[in-house]
Order: sequence, then structure tokens, then C-alpha cells
Amino acid sequence: MDNLFLSTIGTFVTGAILSLLLKSKGKIANRVSNISAITGSILGIIMSGSLLIGRFQYHTIIQTSFPLLNISINVDQLSAFFILVISTVSLTSSIYGLSYMQKFIKQYSVGSFGFFYNLFIASLILVSSASNSLYFLIVWEIMSITSYFLVIFENKKSENINAGFLYLVMTHLGTAFILLTFLLLFMFTGSFEFAVIKQQANNIPLLVKNVIFVLALVGFGTKAGIIPLHIWLPRAHPAAPSHVSALMSGVMIKTAILMMIRIYLDLMPSGASWWGIVVLIIGAISSLLGVLYALSEHDIKKLLAYHSVENIGIILMGLGSAMIFYSLGMIPLAILGLVAALYHTMNHAIFKSLLFLGAGSVVLQTHSHNMEEYGGLIKRMPYTAVFFLIGAVAISALPPFNGFASEWATYQALFAGVIAQSTLIKGSFVLAIASLAFTGGLAAACFVKAFAVTFLAKPRSEAAKNSVESPMLMNVGMAILALLCLVLGIFSGSVVPEIIAVTTSLSAMSNYTPAIATSPQSVTVSQGFASLNLPAVFIALAGVLTIVMTLVYIKTRNQKVSAVDVWDCGAPPLNSRAEITSTGFARALIVMFGSLMRPTKHTIIENNISNLPYYPSSKTVNLEVPNVYETKLYRPVHTILSFIASKVSIVQNGNVNQYLMYIFVTLIGLLLWSNF
Amino acid sequence: MLRLYTKIFKNPKTLISTQTLYHNPDITIIGEKLQSKIGKLFSGSLAIREVAAGSDNSVEQELTALTNSYYDIERFGIHFVASPKHADMLMVSGPVSRNMIHALKVAYECTPNPKIVVAVGDGAIDGGIYKGSYATVDGVKNVIPVHFEIPGDPPSPVTILTSLLNILEIIDSKKLGQQNG
Repeated sequence: MDNLFLSTIGTFVTGAILSLLLKSKGKIANRVSNISAITGSILGIIMSGSLLIGRFQYHTIIQTSFPLLNISINVDQLSAFFILVISTVSLTSSIYGLSYMQKFIKQYSVGSFGFFYNLFIASLILVSSASNSLYFLIVWEIMSITSYFLVIFENKKSENINAGFLYLVMTHLGTAFILLTFLLLFMFTGSFEFAVIKQQANNIPLLVKNVIFVLALVGFGTKAGIIPLHIWLPRAHPAAPSHVSALMSGVMIKTAILMMIRIYLDLMPSGASWWGIVVLIIGAISSLLGVLYALSEHDIKKLLAYHSVENIGIILMGLGSAMIFYSLGMIPLAILGLVAALYHTMNHAIFKSLLFLGAGSVVLQTHSHNMEEYGGLIKRMPYTAVFFLIGAVAISALPPFNGFASEWATYQALFAGVIAQSTLIKGSFVLAIASLAFTGGLAAACFVKAFAVTFLAKPRSEAAKNSVESPMLMNVGMAILALLCLVLGIFSGSVVPEIIAVTTSLSAMSNYTPAIATSPQSVTVSQGFASLNLPAVFIALAGVLTIVMTLVYIKTRNQKVSAVDVWDCGAPPLNSRAEITSTGFARALIVMFGSLMRPTKHTIIENNISNLPYYPSSKTVNLEVPNVYETKLYRPVHTILSFIASKVSIVQNGNVNQYLMYIFVTLIGLLLWSNF
Repeated sequence: MLRLYTKIFKNPKTLISTQTLYHNPDITIIGEKLQSKIGKLFSGSLAIREVAAGSDNSVEQELTALTNSYYDIERFGIHFVASPKHADMLMVSGPVSRNMIHALKVAYECTPNPKIVVAVGDGAIDGGIYKGSYATVDGVKNVIPVHFEIPGDPPSPVTILTSLLNILEIIDSKKLGQQNG
């Protein structure tokens, strides 16, 4: 196991260095970096898989010359679960990247991309397995920096540079809060080691625990993308190359969830019940607002990024319910909540990566991010369309795919909470259920829009008309993920026991019977309160489909079929302007939620004959959904900080004599102080 | 003012005498025969799409009158539909103006087979009062194949109904339904 872990990380590091050395030869560097990533991912799958199946953990501590910093690696069941998800997504992304990156070879340096890419995946695995706070911060920082360089890869476009800068600032803001969290933990437990923190957790006074809760929520929430700390997500994910977006959106933001589970349910489990309520409400608000902003988007990758915000909200709803149940002492239901959160984490990683890879294929062919320029791609890119459809059906939580199973589990965890005594807790659960229901419906609407405007009807631009199917390797990567979507859904009865084992491995939740039970066909909750039999659903759907198709075939076998044009009322031939647009589809829903979204409409009319409104030469209508977080929250903070900084800058005036005086005064002051 | 007020009591409730309203033998008899023919040939519903190919609206007025509460052909199973793709029968009126030639051809092609084309009104048959005009092509038969003609400028609703019955009887005897028209 030592060797396996070392060889996993070693493969990535070797691939990174080789890719950097071969920088000048783009094609070879691309192949080397992606093949080493594929190998490393396979090793990661083997390592985590064997840990999960064998139900044992691997830990090692390497002392360094710094007294408090030990490289302590503890791959317990929870970390192994996350490493499995990371490795699966990076495997398919790297297969995809083998042919996707070929378009960049002439303009940008694919060798340095491969360097950062391999280091990024290695740092993801190290972050999931870190067990010492200082070491964790080091690998967390490596993860942030390498992903920054991946985001600004296409550096000739200025919006990518701006997006990368915003991402860098936000992630360091989060890291600052995380640093404060760990420093507080060190102050009251005396160690940076997670194992020691866990033992000493009861010595932390309650006020400090509450402060640690808030700091960790803000710090890890910035990385996870909860509202209102999410503003970097919809800018950074479209800027990065698509398979990097898949990795970032599918697994990087989940490492924040892992650390939240680690801190709230493993290291300091005995928290107050309002912690869970706050996480639950934040999850509910994030999911609803995330999907509403996704509806208003017509950039396909920004739409997917906002859906990540929504799904993080759903995961936080499961986590919040687990924390509330734990604080009330109902451990079986807490296990149910955590199982739902972990299951949705895995499922979201799979189908979000699938969707991003599909979006990348489409963007590659049409050279545009704007959905209003797509259309008709189902005839030209059939495989991509089918895989994107599977991803869209999975994220809309329709049976028998995996999204349905995990959202069902989340619903069950939330329903179980309605029996609580306290009105506050009961109210928050009811709010969360309503929000989840809203979110599910709106997510389905949003993906109807995304799939239909992108793939169906007629092409809306020349580029869409001339698109061809993507190279085979890109389709292979997507096919693996699509198959996983189906398999993880139908065989939920076999997947959920593993997740239950992961959950009960946490010492806070072991030795309790979970409120969720499984058989190979079905998943049952709370001793028969509700059960889900997805194989039966799949067989029923497949059976009905087969029967109907057979009947139709038999009836129409001998009918002559003639192809005639679409009836266009005799007018000039139909073109793509007669089709529904993405903006039009979503506008009704946006206006309905007008008080939340504050949509604006600006009309600019140019008149032919001056000031006669009857013969306008052009009329432009701008429909917008403004980003309220930047204008109302971040810009005022930025203004205040700039003001304070400009006042403080008087101290730093470039005069060396003054600096020497500062040193002199401080020295005298310290000498006087140490004497008294 | 008072005269206007007393008219409420002096005038009958409808302008059609009750004799005509409830005991009109024409429409009832024709209607029942029409309904049974439609039931036999079209499974109870005949969908008609009306194309106004440069007509002067007289025929359209009469056809619209057929759907009011006096004639009420919907009770016999005859429906006027909006799309040619839903239609069994295409009723064309007006001498086809040159601007409508293409549209009429597209409507004809979009109507699925088997279809029946009926030229309604003198204008549709051979140009009628517009024969020889520079703007028309003198009749629907110069644009698309016509199976039946209903003469009149415009034909009254009863005439249209009677002609429809004749058309359906001819179809029944010829079993026109199998040809492509």
C-alpha cells in the first residue's frame, strides 16, 4: 500500500516533469502528460478501490526538519472514497484531453499545461489524504496555484486572465479563513495533527468551537462555491479548457466538502444544533439561486458552472441534515443524511464531468461559447448528443439514472427531519424540502433549454452547420462516464452499502444501525418508510419502450413514407430565426422570480428621420440579469478596503531614511519593553 | 327613447322564425346523411383545410357561416383545421392570384395522401368574374389537380352542404380513398 500510494503520486510528478522537459515538442508532451495522468488515475483507482473493498485504512507519517510539520497521510475510508471519485474523473478527463488538447498545440505551450495538470491531480489526491494541518495547507496551496495556471491557459483572451485573477483572489481569501481555523484549533489542542485534534476536541471551549465553525464554513465555502462566495465559479470554469473545468467542477470543489465533513463530523462532532441549521439553509439558498442563475445564462459553460453551485447546495442540504440529526442524538438518521451527501457528491462528479466534456466537444466544433449560435448538432454530432443527453437526464434527477437515486436519498433525509420537536428545525427542514423540489424542477427546465437549443432544430450559425463529430477518444471518455451514470443508478442497491460502510467508518457514527438499508435490488429507508427499486424501474421503462417500438414497427411496416417539408404557412423558407432562443425560453421563469433575479430590459431605438418614432432604423433590446453580488457585496467591500489601503500607504512612502527610523524606533521600543 | 325601449317587447327574440329554426327539413336530412357517410368513410371526422387563393372573401363568409349555431356542421363531424397536415380535404376558393401560386402548391404538397381537392365558387373553377385578369391564373385546376367543384358566386351554405354530400357519395362509390389524387 505504501508503494501503491507512492507510485500513484510519483507517476503524476514524473509525468509533470517529463511534460515540462518536452515543452518544445507539443505533440509528444501532450501524449506524455495525458498518458501519465491516465496511468496515475488507474493506480489511484486500484489503491482507493482496494482500501474501500478491504475496509482498512493506510496511514504514514514522514517527519521533516520543521518541528510542527509532518507529512502525515491518512487514507481512511472517507478519503479513499474521494480519491476513487477523483481518479475516475481524472481518468476520463485525461482520455478526453489526449485529443482535445491537440487544437492548442500550435498556439500555447501544451508542455507546461501538462506540468500543471499532473501536479493538480496529484495535489487533489494529497489534499484528500492529508492529516496534518500545515501539510494540508501546503498541498491546498499547490492545488490552488496549479489550478490558477490551468484556468489562465488560454492567455491570449483577456477575460480568461481576469477570471483567473478573480479565482486566485477568492481562493486565497478562503485559504486565509482556513488558516485561521487551523491556527485556532492548534491554539486549543496543541497540535496540527488531525488525530491529536480529534482526541483533544472536547477541550475546546464552546465559543471557540462556534468561531471555528463560522471560519471553516466561509473558508471551505469559498472553494465549494456557496452563495454569496461563488462569484469566481461562473468566471473560472468557462475560462479553463473543458476537461480541466470537468476536474475543477467535479472534484476540486468536493475537496472542500470533504474537509467540511472532516471538521464538522469527524474532528469536532459535538457541535451545537444551529450549525446544521445554518449549513442546511445555506444549502437550500445556494441550490435555488444557483439554478435560477443557470436558467438566465446562455453561455453553456457558465450554465454548467452555476449548476455546480446548485448541486453543492444539495450536498450541503444532506450534510446539514446529518449535522442536525447528530446534534439531536439521532445517529441513524445522521448516517442517512451523510450517505445522501456522499452519494450525491459521487454522482455529481460523474455527471457534471460528462456535461463539461460534452460542452467542450461542442465548443471545439463551433468555436463559440454562446448557446444561441448552436443548433442542429444532433445530426452532426450524434454521439456527443447522446452522451450529453444522458448527462442532462442524470442531472435533472430522472430515473433510472444516478442523480435520481441520490436526490431521492436527500429527500428522505430531509423528510425524516420534519418529525423534530423544535419549530426552528422543523421549519428549516420544510424550507429545504420546498427548495429542493423547486430546484429539481428548474434544473430539468434548464437542461431542456440547454440540450434543445444546443442540439435540436436547425443550426443557428455557419460554424454549427459545418460541425462534425469529435474524435473517437473524446467520445470514449464521455462514454465511460455515461455508462457510469446508468450503472451507478440502476445498481444503487450495490453502491449504497459501500457508502454506508464509508459513513459508519467515521468514529462518530460507528456502531449504530443506519436508517437506510439496501438489498441488491432496492434501497429502503427507516424500516420501510420508503423504498426505491431502480432495477425494476429500468426494466419497466426498457420493457415499455421495447413493446411500444415493436407495436409501432408492426403497424407501420408496410406504410409508404414520403418526406415533405415542414408546413411554414406558405411563407418564405423557414430559417433558424423562427426557432426558440435560450433567452426566450428562460425569460418567463426569470421574470417570475423577478424579485430575486432583478432582470433588466433596455431598449435602444434609432430613428431614421430625426425624432419621428414611426420609422425606426434599428431597435436593440438588451435583456440582462445583473450580478447583484458583485455590485452590492463585493464592490462596497473593495471600495472600503481601497480607501483604507490608500490611507495606510502614507506609511510606505519610499523614503529609506524613514524606514531606518521605523527600525530604530521599534528596536528602542522593544528594548524598553523587555526591560520592564 | 321610449320607442327604442318598447322595441324590446315588440320584436321577436330571434330574427329567424321558429318555423325555420326548428323545422328546417333541408339541413336536418342532409346533415344526417352527411354524418352517416362521414362515419363510414372518415371514421366520424372530416378535416377540411380552406385555402383562400386570392379570393374576394364571399366564399369564406359562406364557409364561416357553416360553423355558426344555425348550420353547425361540427355536429356532423366536419371540422375546419388550421394546418394542411391535419386535413383530409382541401377546399380552395378564389381564382388563384399569382402571389398565391407557390403557397397553394406548398399547401397541396403538405396535405397528406389520400386527399380530396374541392374548388369552391365560380372563381376557383375557371376564374369566375375575374376571368382573364392579369393578376390571376383563372382557376385552381391550372395550379393543382382538382377532384370536385362546387359552383356558385358564392354558393349558399345549403348548396355547399348538399354538394359535400354528393362528393362523399361519389367517393363512397368510387372508393377514391386509395388513389393519390
